This record gives sequence, C-alpha cells and structure tokens, in this order.
Amino acid sequence: MKIVAVTACPTGIAHTYMAAEQLEKTARKLGHDIRVETQGSMGIENRLAAADIRSADAVIFAADIAVQDGERFAGMRIVETSVQEAIKHPEALFGRLEK
Amino acid sequence: MTEIDFAFPLANGLHARPASLLRDACRPFDAVVVLRNRRRRRSANAASVLELVASATLHNDPCLLTISGRQEKEAAAALRHFVKHGLPHADDGAPPLPVTAPPGAAAVLPPVFPALGGRCLRGLSFSLGSGRGRALRLGGRRSLPKRFAAGKSDSRAERRLFENACRQVEAALGKLAERSAGKEGAAILKAQLAILSDPGFRGEIASLISRGKMPAGAAIEKTAARYAIVLRASASAYLRERAGDLDDIAAQLADRLYGPARRNAAPGGRGPLVVAASSLSPAELLACDRSRLRGLLLGRVGFTSHTAILARSLAIPAVALPPTTLARIPDGAEVIVDGRRGLAIVSPGTELKRYYRLEEESAGKRRQRLARRNQRPAATRDKVRVEIAANIAGPAELDIAWRSGAEGVGLFRSEFLFLDRAAPPGEEEQYAAYFQAAQSAGDRRIIFRTLDIGGDKPLPYLGLPREENPFLGCRAVRFYSGHADLIRCQLRALLRATALSGRLRVMVPMVTTVEEVRLARRLLSEAVSELSARKAAVPGHIELGIMVETPAAALALDGLAREAGFFSIGSNDLLQYTMAVDRGNAALAGLYDPLHPAFLRLLQQAATQARQAKRWLGICGEMAGDSELLPLLAGIGFDELSMAPALVPAARERLAQLDSNECRALLRRALRAEDAGAARALLREFNGRGGDAGVVAAELVRLGSKSRTPSEAIKELCDMLELEGRVGDSALLEEAVWKREETYATDLGLGFALPHGKSDTVRSASVAFLRPARPMHWSGKGSPPVQGVLLIAIPAAARGEEHLRLIARLSRRLMHEEFRAALLAARDAAVVVSLVNGCLRSAI
Repeated sequence: MKIVAVTACPTGIAHTYMAAEQLEKTARKLGHDIRVETQGSMGIENRLAAADIRSADAVIFAADIAVQDGERFAGMRIVETSVQEAIKHPEALFGRLEK
Repeated sequence: MTEIDFAFPLANGLHARPASLLRDACRPFDAVVVLRNRRRRRSANAASVLELVASATLHNDPCLLTISGRQEKEAAAALRHFVKHGLPHADDGAPPLPVTAPPGAAAVLPPVFPALGGRCLRGLSFSLGSGRGRALRLGGRRSLPKRFAAGKSDSRAERRLFENACRQVEAALGKLAERSAGKEGAAILKAQLAILSDPGFRGEIASLISRGKMPAGAAIEKTAARYAIVLRASASAYLRERAGDLDDIAAQLADRLYGPARRNAAPGGRGPLVVAASSLSPAELLACDRSRLRGLLLGRVGFTSHTAILARSLAIPAVALPPTTLARIPDGAEVIVDGRRGLAIVSPGTELKRYYRLEEESAGKRRQRLARRNQRPAATRDKVRVEIAANIAGPAELDIAWRSGAEGVGLFRSEFLFLDRAAPPGEEEQYAAYFQAAQSAGDRRIIFRTLDIGGDKPLPYLGLPREENPFLGCRAVRFYSGHADLIRCQLRALLRATALSGRLRVMVPMVTTVEEVRLARRLLSEAVSELSARKAAVPGHIELGIMVETPAAALALDGLAREAGFFSIGSNDLLQYTMAVDRGNAALAGLYDPLHPAFLRLLQQAATQARQAKRWLGICGEMAGDSELLPLLAGIGFDELSMAPALVPAARERLAQLDSNECRALLRRALRAEDAGAARALLREFNGRGGDAGVVAAELVRLGSKSRTPSEAIKELCDMLELEGRVGDSALLEEAVWKREETYATDLGLGFALPHGKSDTVRSASVAFLRPARPMHWSGKGSPPVQGVLLIAIPAAARGEEHLRLIARLSRRLMHEEFRAALLAARDAAVVVSLVNGCLRSAI
C-alpha cells in the first residue's frame, strides 16, 4: 500500500519525530510504501507534495494538535490517531488501514 | 539665601540611605537646609532623615535645596558638589535585589507536592533557599491599651517615660548592632536608630506630649502613624516599605512603656525552627538563634523591607503569606519554607522531605560552584585572561567587592576622605584608610586614584576659583601644581600604606599632557624622598599610571606611555568629552551613547597604542560593567574591566561564554557601523546567539542515580542543567516539564521516559540523561518500569536550528531497540555523550 502520514504534537520537541520514525519503521516491516511529514519544532519537514497525496491509498494523521494545511488531503481517506497511539501500537494502526 | 535646583537622580527615590547622606552633608555647617519637592509641593528639613524620606521624592522629581544661615556659602558649595557627585552614587555598592519571579497562579508542581491550598500554602518569596523546622508562632503586635490612648496626662511624667523608653531602645539596638556579625545587620539597626534620634520624629512626639497633653504611647503611635501614612501613600514601593521601620520603632518603644507584647523569638529547647509571625522587626530577627532558624513565614513584609533585606543577607529562606493563610500554620507543626517557589508546606510527608533534601544538596553544589568559579581567574571561553575588578569609594566596600568575586580594585576613589569637611585629612588619617585597603587586598591588584576634585567638585578649604564651565576648568591633576603639599601628603600616605605589601599602583585623573604626568612623577619622587628622610619605609615597586578621560589623552597615548606605566580608561568623562554632552542632562541622554562609532574607534585606537607601547590597559567607567557591551570590550582587548561590585558576578559569567576571536570580529563590524543604532543592532544580534556548546556533556549524565520517583528524577535532571548554567532557574523548568507531562506521560512503554519542556529559563537547548539505580514506575504502579530518563530542555524562543535538529534525530533514534539498549548499557558518561552526539551524524 502507498501511505502518506503527518505527525504533530503540542511542543513539537520529541513525539512528532518519534511517531514519524515509528510509522516509517513499521511500514517497512509490513512492506508498505510510506512518506511522513513532520510538523514540529523544525517547522514542516518532508512536506507532502500534491502528487504524493493524490497517488496515496491512505492517509494517517498521528497528531495531538490540528494538522497544518489539512485541506491538501480533502477527499482522501484519513485515519486519525494520537501521537502516543502511533508510537505505542503502530501495527494496530496499520491494521485499521486495511479495513 | 542660596538655592540649588536638581532632578532627583536615584531610581529608588529618596530613601533612608541617601537621606542620611544628605543630612550628613549638611551637618558640618551652621546653616538651615530645606529640601522642597516641587512636584509633591512638600518641604523637609534636611536635618531630619524622616522628613526627607516623608517628602516621598521619586526618581527625577524636580527638587530645590534652600540654604540659609551663617555658613550659607560653604554649605552651598558642599551641597552643590554632593548633589552632582555624591547623591547619584548613594546606592552604588548596594547589593542588587535578586529577582525571583513569583510562580504564577497556574504553576504546576511536581506530583510529590500535596495539592495547593491544603497543606501546601502559596505566598511570595522574599529570600531564596529552603529550610525545614517546627513552627514557632509569635503573637500579633499589640494595639495600644485603651487607657493609654486618650485622655489628659501628666505631661512631665509622660515626657520622662518617653525619654527613658528611647534610651532603653537605643541601648538595646546599639548592643545588638555590636553583636551582630554582618555589616548588613549593623547598617539596618543603625538606620532604625537614626529614626529614633531623628529631630522630626522625636520633636513631634515630645511636643504632642507637652503641648497636646497626650500620653507617651498615644503620642508615639500618632507620630509614627502620621509619617507612615505619608510613606505608604508613596508611589515608590521602596518608600512604602520604609513605613515598616517606623512601626518597628514604635512597637519597641511601646514594649518599653507597657511591657513586652509577645513571645520571645528565641525560645528554649532545641531543634530547627521556622518563625511564623504577622510581622518581625530586624531587631527581633537578629535576636533569633540563627543556628536553629531555618525559615521565616511572615504576614506583612515587602521585598525591600529591612527584615527582607536582612533575611537575604543572612541567607534565611523566607516567604510572605496572606494573613488568613498564615493563620493556618499551627504552632509546633513541622513546616518547610520554600523561598524559591514561594511555598510553605505544613507537615510534609517522607517523599517530600527526600525531595527537599535533594534541593538542599543542589543548593550546596551551586554555592560550591560559584566559589570555585570565583577562585579561577576570569577569562574568555578560549582562555584569554581579562581581569574583572571593582570600583570602590572607600575601604568599607572592599568586603562586598571580594565577596562578589572581584579580582582586584581597578579604581579606589580617594575623594571620600576629602569631602564634607572644613580642612583636608591629615597624612595619618589617610594612611589608616589606605593601609586598611592594601591589607584587605593582599596580593590582589589595587589601583589608588589620587584626588579627583576641582572646579566642579569644590572643596571649601582649597579655595579654587569659581569657573564659568567647571567641566572644562581646573579639575583634578590641573590643580595639583597649585596644591603640591596636599598631593604630596596623599602620596606619602599611599606610599607608607603599601610599604608592607611592597607595591603601590597610583593613578592620576584627567591627564591631557605629558607635562602633567611629569609633574605627578616629580611629586611622587619628592614624597619618596620626604619619607626616606624620615626613615619611613616605601614599597619596592611603585607604578604611576593615568586615567584616560579626554580624547587628547586617548589619541596621544603613545607619547604619554613614555611617562606613564599603565592606563585606565575613565569612560564616563571620555564619552562626555567626545560627544560634548553632559551625562546628567536628561534631554540629551540619547547622545550619551558609548556605541557611537567615534567613541568605539577612540577606544580601539587607545588600545592599539597601549599594546604597541606594551602598557597595561584597563577601563573603569560605567561602560565596563555593562554585560551587554562586554563582547565589544573583550574585542578591544582590555587587560582589566573595573565596575561596581554588584556587577562583577554577571561580568564573570558573561566573559566565560565569549570567544575572543568572535568578539574581535564583532568589533571590526561595529567600528564600521554608520551610527550607534547600527552598532547596537549588531551587538544585539551577537548577544542573542546562544553559545555553541553541544546539547549534552558528561556533566549532564548521571548513571546509577538514587532517584526513586519521577518527581525526583526530573528534579535531579533540572538541577544538573541549572548547575551547568544551561538553565536559569531549575524550578521553572521543572514546572514546564510537569505541565507537559500532564497532557500525557512521556514514558511510552519502551523502558524510557522522555520528559521535555520549553521555557524562557532555558539558555541553550540541552539534553540530560539519568539512569536510576532501580527502575521506577513513571505513570502509576502498573506502568512498565523505566530504566532511562532523558530530559530535553528547549528555550522558549528556540534559536539554533542545529540543536533542534539533533534533538529531533535523537527522538527518532530512541524508537530503535539497539539505540536504547546501548544507552542502558553505556558504562560511563562519555559513552552516553558520544551516543547522543552520534545521532547527528547517523543517517536516519
């Protein structure tokens, strides 16, 4: 599956990046193709381009705050979760995508 | 009648210290001096400190001194000088008030604390530190017994009672002042004694008793209340708090008249005590057994009240509580006073006691570190030595200077010996003062400045002519040739005073020509011969230096260097003469700016010439103590910066952060700036940059920590960061971290917790790591045990993307089992540091 994801936490210091890492690691393990945009203390990094989003099968928002520029994902199927869920139970999250 | 107009120069207003200086300045003369505050339309007799203070004069108030009487002329000359040169410095050397931000109402405390409002009471801190002891409640002060308060009385008997009470209080305070070791305590008691002997205060009480037929107690109460009302109505918090001194004195007098009103603050028994009282006088505080006193909880107290100042100088933790809160502290209960967070905690549990033991350990380490830093020579980060010295105006300030960490005295002003008197001081009197200073300095450098007085600072006994423009007139070295005896006398006293230490460094003010240096040298060698003729000892090394206070001296320094052994820039006068601005002229304050490129270039040229002539160069004007400007001064390459003692710690701290090459690069850019504003922008940008220390260091890693709970672990990590100077106040960081922790706990089931916080108190983005000796539960008993705690601290306005990038990568790495295992297995701090730093290099 081709997945795009956004991670964002309140302070943007640590969990944004931990969640991004966890999603990438788990996707590799499960054989998915993933691109993760982080919205944290470094600003927006690995910004998802319109083409990436359009060609994706699913979108994950692992965020405790509102995702910036969320309108980019209008019309897409979005699975929303908290940053901590993404870190603690990543495989369950990917399971939700399959449904 | 002579009148002197001026704007009141002190930021704290006319409080007791400057008021008593003004009174002392008037004292030698047979003249009546009245101060009129034109804004408040209030007049005060300058003989009464209380009346002066009650004039409620604030910073920049337009004031008028009116002088009349037999010695009107002499008094006017002395006062003119005092207003211009004494008064503006009346608060110099006063210890700066440590600023503690009272925690906001929404402050988050670590979970180890009981809920606020229950046993955990919030107040305002007025002296830092923490302590624990049994509460000793002192009762409230009595209001006057009714029968004494009104009705006619036998005025002669009441007068006698009053005079007796005054004598007893005077004796008691005097005795206490003698016994109290600290200078601060003695000075405060002296200020209170001054109220007692104040003609305004005492005269009014006496007249109420005699003419108003009032009982003594009522007269005291009425008079104290009248002055207190005036003070409490003042716009200056400082003056408002002086009302407390009046209450103290009135209460002590009442005690003598009617017997003590309340319990002794020094009870029998043993064990640590916390005194809880609605108010406490400095005398009562000094009477406490300090070996047992661990804290103060007071009702009515201001930050600058004498009791508060005394508590700080004695390092007794103290918190002010609202009266209703104070009433909830039971006598004899165990109490923790936390002067850092402004808390009083009644009957603390074991865990909280452990927490405060950690707090005390950290405070001890901080004190040691400060002491160690003051032992090391001041230098930049790249080890370029710059001596940090103090400017002082008499031997009394030496102790403060050494305690602040000054490495020497860059400017010993000798004027204090010469002012406010009818004849110059003799050689012996001067010798005693200089000898005391030389002894106190020991091996430290001390530079004595010869008499810096002239048309602008007239001394009646010098008989200098009145000048149209004293600042461009016969000042300092310019009158030496006409008063050679006076200067030789001073030089003899200096030579004798330093004979034992073996080295005299003497500095001549206001030099513009080589001829003036030769004159000073001639006077110096004459003084040496006079002493040799008397078979008196002189020091083996004698160095003659000059102050560089005129553009002429700064630009022709190479020529002067042939006669002068060392130089010190007097930046106040040098700037005034460079910019053609009187620094006291508020309307032109904007022009008086040391960042004007002309002035920076002048300093730079003087420094270059001094270096070429191989001469030592210091700077002792106000500019030297401005930490903001320090990068430029370090760039110019001064050998020494000399400043008010209170500014020394900040200068040492800032200097150690600077790199001399970066400072020189900054200077080069500032010298080319088009105006002061552009130079200031460069400086701001420079000062805003964080140091480039890494995010982690071995000192920020603790393996096998004794912490048992998240509260302790986070505290330990925050304290480590504070100790390393990366965080200003660890309690504020703790608060930020716990606030974050409240949204959801940062242990994520990986054996690690990753607490983090963003706060103004963080100076540079940092990571601290701790491995507890025993794994701890982070979020409740059922949570998986945590074996490693990694704390991240980020400045509120995070700059330096590089640090944030490292922390982002570190967070990612923590998601990898191997990395976590490596952190948990690391055998020492160095391994942890390299693992963390390795995150930046590793590709993710």
